[in-house]
Amino acid sequence: MSADEPVKTAKTEGTDWIATIWNFLTSLKLVVILLLILSALSIAGTVIEQNKPLQEYYRYYQPGTVALFSKLGLFDMYHSWWFVACLSLLALNITACTMDRYRGIMAGMRKRNLILDEKLSKSLQNLTTIRYALPLDAVEKKMVELAGKEFPGKPVVTAAEEGGSHYFFEKGKYSRLAFFMTHLSILIIFLGALIGSFFGYKGYVNIFEGETVSQVETRAGKIQNLNFQVKCNTFNAEFYASGMPMDYRSDLSILQNGKEVVRKTIRVNDPLTFEGVTFYQSSYGGQPDQVAIEAVSRDGSVKGTVTAPFGRVVDIPGMAEEVEAADYQEHFHLPDGSEGGRAVGVNIYPAKGGAPAGVWLLVNDPEYDKRRGGDTYFRVRDLKLKKYTGLQVNRDPGEILVWLGSILLIAGIMIAFFMSHKKLWISLRTDNKGRSELTIGGTANKNRDAFAREMEQMIQSLKEVS
Amino acid sequence: MTNSLLFGIATFVYFFAMVLYVSYLAFRSEMLGKVASRSMLGGVVVETAAIGMRWYESYQMGIGRAPLTNLYESLAFFAWTFAVIYLVLERKFKIRTVGAFVAPFPFLIMAYAALNPNDIQPLVPALKSNWLISHVVSCFVGYAAFAVSFGVSILYLFKAGSEKRSPKSAGSFWDFLPSSSGLDEIGYKTIAIGFPLLTIGIVTGAFWANVAWGTYWSWDPKETWSLIVWLIYAAYLHARITRGWRGKRAAILSIVGFAATIFCYLGVNLILSGLHSYGSAS
Repeated sequence: MSADEPVKTAKTEGTDWIATIWNFLTSLKLVVILLLILSALSIAGTVIEQNKPLQEYYRYYQPGTVALFSKLGLFDMYHSWWFVACLSLLALNITACTMDRYRGIMAGMRKRNLILDEKLSKSLQNLTTIRYALPLDAVEKKMVELAGKEFPGKPVVTAAEEGGSHYFFEKGKYSRLAFFMTHLSILIIFLGALIGSFFGYKGYVNIFEGETVSQVETRAGKIQNLNFQVKCNTFNAEFYASGMPMDYRSDLSILQNGKEVVRKTIRVNDPLTFEGVTFYQSSYGGQPDQVAIEAVSRDGSVKGTVTAPFGRVVDIPGMAEEVEAADYQEHFHLPDGSEGGRAVGVNIYPAKGGAPAGVWLLVNDPEYDKRRGGDTYFRVRDLKLKKYTGLQVNRDPGEILVWLGSILLIAGIMIAFFMSHKKLWISLRTDNKGRSELTIGGTANKNRDAFAREMEQMIQSLKEVS
Repeated sequence: MTNSLLFGIATFVYFFAMVLYVSYLAFRSEMLGKVASRSMLGGVVVETAAIGMRWYESYQMGIGRAPLTNLYESLAFFAWTFAVIYLVLERKFKIRTVGAFVAPFPFLIMAYAALNPNDIQPLVPALKSNWLISHVVSCFVGYAAFAVSFGVSILYLFKAGSEKRSPKSAGSFWDFLPSSSGLDEIGYKTIAIGFPLLTIGIVTGAFWANVAWGTYWSWDPKETWSLIVWLIYAAYLHARITRGWRGKRAAILSIVGFAATIFCYLGVNLILSGLHSYGSAS
């Protein structure tokens, strides 16, 4: 992107099909149309919710529509073949344009026209000649000092054939490279994203307090082994008085060969990275450790009590039935839609054998099971929860490229918009009346208005030299 | 609370400034124009105090956080950025006549903000980050620059139309406005300011998302819409710089870009769901 500078794209003549393809790939029409198409397509993915379970779509759309959308890839459109094809075409377009512009940009950085000759003079709009009564070397000294304020580098001095010298100043030569920075940065970001998706993974793991894991399940449903173990020492959630979450913290340890090598308390905005794998605080929850279940007869007398380890079928002393605390919900939805709080899903195995009956027992409503009828109902007398922390686990070897590309992009855009390659030519000679004569002219490849003002000021101060 | 009172006064001052800018355009009196700019500046001063006060009051409540985290605060800060950026650009490009098209925004945004709950709530864990301020500020300054370009582009369309109808209309109302080629150039320059800032906003957002949620890009509606805005302005810049798109086509693209910006800022929160639906993050 070189602001204000008309670009000549070399149009290759002929019917050669390679030339046709090349012209298509380097055409600016393609860039503009691709950018607008990509933005139009992206809108679709924000209107249709992405990556939901299929049955949810049936709630919003007709079955025919769901089938069509699903076939078109609209439910995961950012990974659909046509969206990826557009991105690939953009990458190809950027590559081709970069190659196309390479020679022109490099040529623009080369030092040419070190002498303010007749041909160059004609092309400069701000060409000015000033005459002084001072000796030439005094004018030179002042001139170099004044020009040096705008152009800090040493000028290239060429002796003129007819006596006197030509001075060439330049600044911001490398700002011409901004084009490469902005365009290659996009390719670098793409490359980073590709590396991440091929060689990295995103996974998830729940770790109970005090427990250790050495593998995680990836989003793709695969088991990923870690080269180390992760232990959750404690998990804590804090809440404001209003019930809003305030802080989630997991105290994690990384173990290698049974020895702790790193220990860190992670929070939502403060993950832990070890050997390229990063652990993010993502969720939390609890699962019953032990549930004390009571069987009560209708008249209110307790018939039996048992403390059941979660997931194990146990006898109730003094009764023929067996029970199993098999399920747990933190926020149980009552049939009327309201919230019932903590609930334990219990399987009751009948005395005479056969299929168990599944019932939900509410911790906060001991009489809830009474509505089931029968002469015995069950209630939770005590519930011991084990807390777990839910961690998002990522390995993304491409991430560093994404950040590198991002920084390059920002720097490139800044340079492209706010810096320019400025050139200044001055020639000094003694004219036929013996006066010192200074001729000055300059160009900039961008922001010409601002440069014109700078030049005006410089010429004004040169005129004031005496 | 003091901050609410100050925000109220600022809204009123912005209203006053809006009326003045419109009358400046209607009566073409330089005096009115100067007063209009001063009132806008007055609005900014009062609102700066309001934001500072709200920040301070949050510390007094033991919450202590930058006032940038719910819809009310976001809108109020947007109005503030808008007014500041407009004043800076008005000075830089000498475009006071554009004020009539741009000055209503701070007032309208503040008026809309007033419809939202304005109590100071503590932060949810996901928003507790040093990235909050840099992300929000760079995005909003970018949005504000796009808004000024939008105002200038609308003015351009009117002006170019009048120039076409009657090329020599000395002394008429339209003559009072900057030349269409000048407006065209300013429309471009303001986008050239907004685009790098939007880029910084998107990158800081991606970096923050990566720290908080472990993914720098998840095609969440807010992310996607910011990309859409970025793509539209990128198309504008390519079309203008390399294909020489100027005038009407550039102005229309700038208007479309700002429409997308507004949707990205408000539409996504109000209509679509996602990571930025305030208060339900993480």
